Amino acid sequence: MSSTPRTAAAAALQEGEAPRERIKVTKVVDGEVVEEWIEVAASDDAPRWQAREDLRLLDSDLRRVDGPAKVTGRARYTHDVRLPGMKYGRLVRCPYPAARCTVDVDSATALPGVRVVLTIDDGETRYLGQPVAAVAADTPELAEDAVRALAVRFEELPWAVTRDQALAEDAAPVGRDGNVADVRTDGDLDAAEAALATCDATVEATYEVPVQHHVCLETHGVVVDYRGGDEATIYASTQWTHVVHRERLPERLGLEGSQVESVVEYMGGGFGSKFPTGIEGRMACELSRELGAPVHMMLTRRDEFLLAGNRSGTHQTVRAGATADGKLRAMVSEVDKLGGIGRGSHPGLPYVYDVETSHLRIRSVLTNLDSNRAMRAPGHPQASFAMESTVDELAHQLGIDGLEFRKRNLASLVYHRQLDAVAEAVGWADHPNKVGPDTSDSEVKTGIGFGVSTWGTRGRPACVVTVRIGPDGAVTVLSGTQDLGTGTRTYVAAIVAEELALPLDAVEARIGHSSYGAANGSGGSTTVPCLAPAVKDAAHKARVAVLARVAEVLGADPARLALHRGQVIHLERPDERLGWAEACSALGADGLTTTGEWVASLTDAGVHGAQAARVQVDTLTGQVKLEKIACMQDCGLPLNRLAVRSQINGAIVEALSYGLFEERVVDPDLGVMLNACLGDYKIAGCADIPEIVAMIDDEDTRGPIGIGEPPIIPTHSAIANAIFNACGVRLRSMPLSCDKILDGLVANGTWAGGEA
Amino acid sequence: MTERRVEEERRGFSRRAFLQGAGGVAAASSLTEAVHAAQDPASEVQRMRGPEEVELRVNGGTLPATVEPRTTLLDALRHRVDPPLTGTKLVCGEGACGACTVLVDGRPMYACMLLAADVVGREIRTVEGLADGDGLSPVQEAFCEKDGLMCGFCTPGFLMSATGLLERKPDADAEEVRRALSGNFCRCGTQPHIFEAVAEAGRRLREGGR
Repeated sequence: MSSTPRTAAAAALQEGEAPRERIKVTKVVDGEVVEEWIEVAASDDAPRWQAREDLRLLDSDLRRVDGPAKVTGRARYTHDVRLPGMKYGRLVRCPYPAARCTVDVDSATALPGVRVVLTIDDGETRYLGQPVAAVAADTPELAEDAVRALAVRFEELPWAVTRDQALAEDAAPVGRDGNVADVRTDGDLDAAEAALATCDATVEATYEVPVQHHVCLETHGVVVDYRGGDEATIYASTQWTHVVHRERLPERLGLEGSQVESVVEYMGGGFGSKFPTGIEGRMACELSRELGAPVHMMLTRRDEFLLAGNRSGTHQTVRAGATADGKLRAMVSEVDKLGGIGRGSHPGLPYVYDVETSHLRIRSVLTNLDSNRAMRAPGHPQASFAMESTVDELAHQLGIDGLEFRKRNLASLVYHRQLDAVAEAVGWADHPNKVGPDTSDSEVKTGIGFGVSTWGTRGRPACVVTVRIGPDGAVTVLSGTQDLGTGTRTYVAAIVAEELALPLDAVEARIGHSSYGAANGSGGSTTVPCLAPAVKDAAHKARVAVLARVAEVLGADPARLALHRGQVIHLERPDERLGWAEACSALGADGLTTTGEWVASLTDAGVHGAQAARVQVDTLTGQVKLEKIACMQDCGLPLNRLAVRSQINGAIVEALSYGLFEERVVDPDLGVMLNACLGDYKIAGCADIPEIVAMIDDEDTRGPIGIGEPPIIPTHSAIANAIFNACGVRLRSMPLSCDKILDGLVANGTWAGGEA
Repeated sequence: MTERRVEEERRGFSRRAFLQGAGGVAAASSLTEAVHAAQDPASEVQRMRGPEEVELRVNGGTLPATVEPRTTLLDALRHRVDPPLTGTKLVCGEGACGACTVLVDGRPMYACMLLAADVVGREIRTVEGLADGDGLSPVQEAFCEKDGLMCGFCTPGFLMSATGLLERKPDADAEEVRRALSGNFCRCGTQPHIFEAVAEAGRRLREGGR
């Protein structure tokens, strides 16, 4: 590997100072990505990723190392933890959006097998389903009995569960300062209005996006292993192993942080909702402390829908215009974020596309429903729906096809090549109706739509990674990170194996224990950019250290030694080589341990992504059949190509489900959620999945960048545009369901059933 | 001032609440009696009055378990056998997601929708029974190779549905695979790779794998 000195670092060295450089990093605060500048050491001998052609493991398809544990049922999730004397905890929820409540504890503790009932903030509740008590019993069934038996007196208070209710003049107060919060404006309204007046084509529309639920298959929860005494283990289904300490759960047990180990070996999906251990974590600790026994506290599926977070809904009103040559000139938008008692998420409009002059007013409208939480690219899919629809509406008015119009308004040529790639993948060149709807005689119309995405996260110093090499050559890498299913454990092992020229199975990756070292939570696609550099750094130091020790023993110059295919070789004397285990015997009885930290030059920031959807719309039934969805995504160095494709597939599946099916339904008169179960909250199943073409943009030669988020941003938008391209019905509210399509066909006079 | 008992299931009309509301054990027995009678006219119908020790035939062995009349097969596997068989997952508890799919006499069934007492004597296979020692079954092997899993929580259910299909019909085509798996949800979005894995497993089984 070459080691060209960095100019800034070299200059600093000449002046005799420790070299420093200022870099911009991002972190996730309450689900929002926040940027900040920090100073880091600039090192001239920093590790570097090998050239792509020299990589054996990274940048190829790797089987995930924990696959066998997961396919045999051996992988133990929090939900599966069983401990001697363990009690089962459950929460008791308030059935009103707002109420005053009084709990009669004795009504449940009278039941045999019910061990304890604790009240939670006895007083007023602020959102539908807010827990008011927690119970613990000998079995899950008895805990459920206790929930049923517990008598709670509720006095219903005024509430608002919809945007209209919250904005009404006589609205019930949701927040302390009213029902509108965080009002922000951006841009010059007068200039935007003036620009709008000069446009050749304009659109004025309201785009509505409902609340989506995360639907993690493993519900939120923890198992607290506390049996009195001065230590405890907390197993948590979380996307941040260290959150247990950050939320000070040890204090709830009367323990110091150092006396508590948190464990996240396997977890069944988070998607942004599992940063906090939440009220269930807190109450599990309090129940456990009260009983001096382990407590298993996993939310029920209904709890999950009512109190474990969601993707905020959005109400977006847009007025936008373009010039006859297809350039976006003006956009005036008003965005209401609907995150229950939370503030909602939205990156603002315009989104991704260049618009000459714009004005934005954005605010949060509060309702008595549980707070939104981060969900895969918080706010971006909502913004994408309004932006991509607007773009498409203007393109159609101007008679320009969707692909060409997009290119005219996207400065980055990366988008151009990605759009061309996905267009080719869905058969755009041969598509007969590029500009207008399908006018063929067939009742089933075909359409193609596009969408683009962006994501930005750079890593930051957050992880400390340890590599241990035993005198027998055993290699272990330890990190307090967690694997949400993205394949973290596998690339942690692969980075080390690559550096040490060993096969993948020669390295054991141990993760998911707080004692394994500092690590960030997995959110904002920051796991790879924070963790991979630290793993690489630790592995690099291990390689240097092994070669130095072996060189001592051999009396050789370490610079003339190298690791190659499980052997230490001498560059000039190729016959002199040592097997890995033999070489490691030179390390002495203790072996060696290195620690790695974040290295700025080992990662990068800012990705693009383009998607195209090809759909069929039955103009008799309004049914949409997805034929094919193609995505091209840049991600810097793909650490595991197979896992990257899985991530892209997964994002597209979750987004097409969002687009076509998902919606939290709350009755505005009764204030109850009508579909708080998986039988009624529809998500995509196997029959709904089209052919998905997941392409990695290999023209991107940067270091590895996380891409959990970006491919989930534009899929539903591309589908909405494809539906319009097929049948001429513009859907401005999600989900993109067949009843809305039928209404549109009838209104347009194009329903295949004739006159309605 | 209104008073309302906080109830978990009554609002949602769950099967369990229905059984309890409708006289509990008697209702459960009369429903299942009919099923048993239809499937096996010679079977002896036994009524349960409370917790009872039963023997479940699981993965080729016999496991004692103390079950209540309301105990589902899923709860029995996860909580009432020793050691607990936690590979089978609880996700929805109402027969909507397929995470608890097991094979009962070779057919994929939702363990959350079966009462443990009703499957006494029937042959149950769970994800723990697929591998032969360290040797993965062709379906398990293909899931690993094609990355047909991410968080892994839906994986046992998908494996059992796929195994049930391929043991019956190793030459199932893509459409049949999709249909056979349509009772299973995956939220990570592994379906495209699962389809590839099941196709690959079918190929191996036809070529004489286990």
